Amino acid sequence: MVDEALMSRDILVDDFLTIFISSTLVLIFGGFYVGIYTAIKVKLLKNWMMYIGYFFWILTAYCLYLMGSLMHVNDFTAKALVVAAIGLLLLPHAVYYMQDHVHQENEH
Amino acid sequence: MASSYSKSESKKLATWYFTVAATLFGAQLLFGLVAAIQYVMPGFLFEILDFSVARMVHINALVVWMVFAMFGSVYWLLPDETGIETVGIGLGKLLFWVFTAAVTVVVLVYLFIQVGPADETSIWFIHEGREYIEAPRWADLGITVVALGFVANLFMTGIKGNRSGIVTVLMADMIAFAGLYLTGMFYTDNISIDQFWWWWVIHLWVEATWEVFVGALAAYGLITMIGAHRKVVEMWLWIEVAMLFGSGILGMGHHYFWIGTPEYWWEIGALFSALEPLPLVAMFIHVLYDWGKMQGEEAAKGQDLSVITNKPAFTWFIMNALGNFLGAGVWGFFHTMPQVNLYTHGTQFTSAHGHLAFFGAYATILIGMMYLAVQGKNNIKILNNTKSSIWAVSMIVGGVVGMTVALTLAGYSDVIISRAQMGATWAGYFDAQATTWLVQGLVWRLLMGVVTFVGFLFLVKDLLSIGKATHHVR
Amino acid sequence: MATKSVWSDNRFWQRTAAWVTGFASVLLIWLTFDTSAQISMGTDADLQNGVTKRVPGPTVINYKVTYEMNKKRQHEIPVIGGMNAEGTSAFQEKENFFGRDNWSEEEAGALLHLGKLASQTKNCMNCHTLLGNGAYYAPDLTKAWLDPAWGPEGSMQAMTGKETKEEAMAEFLQNPSQYPTHARMMPNLGITAEEAKGLVAFLKHLSSIDTNGFPRNFGKIQGAVNGK
Repeated sequence: MVDEALMSRDILVDDFLTIFISSTLVLIFGGFYVGIYTAIKVKLLKNWMMYIGYFFWILTAYCLYLMGSLMHVNDFTAKALVVAAIGLLLLPHAVYYMQDHVHQENEH
Repeated sequence: MASSYSKSESKKLATWYFTVAATLFGAQLLFGLVAAIQYVMPGFLFEILDFSVARMVHINALVVWMVFAMFGSVYWLLPDETGIETVGIGLGKLLFWVFTAAVTVVVLVYLFIQVGPADETSIWFIHEGREYIEAPRWADLGITVVALGFVANLFMTGIKGNRSGIVTVLMADMIAFAGLYLTGMFYTDNISIDQFWWWWVIHLWVEATWEVFVGALAAYGLITMIGAHRKVVEMWLWIEVAMLFGSGILGMGHHYFWIGTPEYWWEIGALFSALEPLPLVAMFIHVLYDWGKMQGEEAAKGQDLSVITNKPAFTWFIMNALGNFLGAGVWGFFHTMPQVNLYTHGTQFTSAHGHLAFFGAYATILIGMMYLAVQGKNNIKILNNTKSSIWAVSMIVGGVVGMTVALTLAGYSDVIISRAQMGATWAGYFDAQATTWLVQGLVWRLLMGVVTFVGFLFLVKDLLSIGKATHHVR
Repeated sequence: MATKSVWSDNRFWQRTAAWVTGFASVLLIWLTFDTSAQISMGTDADLQNGVTKRVPGPTVINYKVTYEMNKKRQHEIPVIGGMNAEGTSAFQEKENFFGRDNWSEEEAGALLHLGKLASQTKNCMNCHTLLGNGAYYAPDLTKAWLDPAWGPEGSMQAMTGKETKEEAMAEFLQNPSQYPTHARMMPNLGITAEEAKGLVAFLKHLSSIDTNGFPRNFGKIQGAVNGK
């Protein structure tokens, strides 16, 4: 099942801190992205703020890339990380779409 | 509220459960403090109440108080959801006393007998020595009986009364919760098989069934506290169930990297661990979204008042959404990938994650449920914060976050020195323990533990007295 | 009224939740069967016939155990009875364990049984980690048997004044507070001589389990990994 070794190389001592920080920021930036999107939809923020939201998603994706490359992930894991990044991009859209549908059905 | 406290035996029983839960929460914090002191002063209570004993009580009290508070929460919300009195309430009360008595005996044995000879009798009557589920086998059987009785009450009530979406989720979830406990009861000489099944209890409880339970409580809370639309909330609950079980069940893979299990778990663990934070993010935005929406509806009607009918409980529910995201999400994710976990597995990082995740995901919302019970018990329409409520939430949350940050810094030193540079040996372990970051990190952890405990005292005071305050809307 | 959409239909999501949960559970159960077979404990015959098991039989205590980097798997694996040409266990080289290298399957099994029971009843996991799981108050014991500190030149063996690794470990386990290595000491847990022997067998067996390379570089490095 494993054709390429998952852990081909040691992680360099100097890289650990970058890995930990970038993987923490993955979710922090991801949270900002989702938070800004939500805040715009409930009209706490103006629409143009969405650009900042997408910028945070780009930062998330970059952090995932940085984390993945420093820990020398294999092809499979790299794909899993890409799927997670795209999932995060779509998540708030899907949630909003569904919530909006239900609210409309209930209120009109 | 559909059924008031004075008319509901189920709600009375819930308050009993909450009382024992809060007491055990206190015990958890006290024994945590003993263990934290021992990190800083190793001679403290040496060979009287050793670290292993203090820590065992610390984590067992944690699990048990949460189970008590979960049972209490179900008995509290059941009459509201089903519209009828809980069926089998007499059985429920009997089981409550059995459970409380059993827990008391188990703790006394932990404290006064501590260790036994290496035989089956010790496993049956002292403890099983398996982290989190140390309870001796007689207590295992007792807990199973109590859990089954509880599930039976839930089912009978759900079937007889109005079976709402929340109740349906709880019924499915609690049967899994009780059933999974059975996988952690048997003995084997093969430690790989042992840990394989041990994770079925630990992981499938805390990262699957308990999370779904929290989703159901959050749904109930949103309906009762801010009047969120049931249909929206329940639809959302089903989506959460799908996401949590979809990522959580196979997320088990991240515990099967190094215990002797095959290498394919690396891929499974990596994939599902990467997905596991998504439902936590989703739960977080859902709460904020519904709150914003309901407040917006009020504003549209020209009302400027808050929609929240229980301020302290709602604060704790928000802390839950945030804490789940931070503790289980962020603190889980940064050491979950197998490539990194190879170096971080079994270091102070794990401890940092454990503290914030258990607290953020479970303690918060269960404390919120206690406030809901106080509100119902005192027949208050809108429960406002007192000074103590604010001190309690600030100090407990601040304390736990402080402990987590301190343990994270200690953990970084642990990983770099003992694992990356010293090859994980006995000597490497102690080299790491002696580093400034680790030593000071554990001092700060102790200080923050004290802050948490003081916060707990405020919490107890508040839970006992807030109902008598006069600034609520009755 | 807005048109009914499947996305806002509770029953649709209820079914989705049921299907997702069911599918994940079935997959987990299927994998459990596969994994259980792979981690079932081997036998003495397996060792004698050169069959590599992820969890070898208890008579592994008769063999020399080391932890070597495997080129193909790119991580360390336990090597039992010396290394063969492929870099895996040769099951040839024996080693005395408490003076004998001919522990029968029954004897070794009984010793391991006693040791595993002791590891639970003495609450090892609430200070140490085993396979990386437990508490972080004391060192990980996964490969403790292979720790250089217990070897012939090691400080721990020298401290107990014993001739062999297993005797040194057994002595320490029985009287831990007589041999303090750090301010943080192991307490006396009332471990008997027989239980100590069992525990050492348990630890030796533990070190022979294939943990996919955890812990990395065990006992091999004394400084930073900085070579690319």
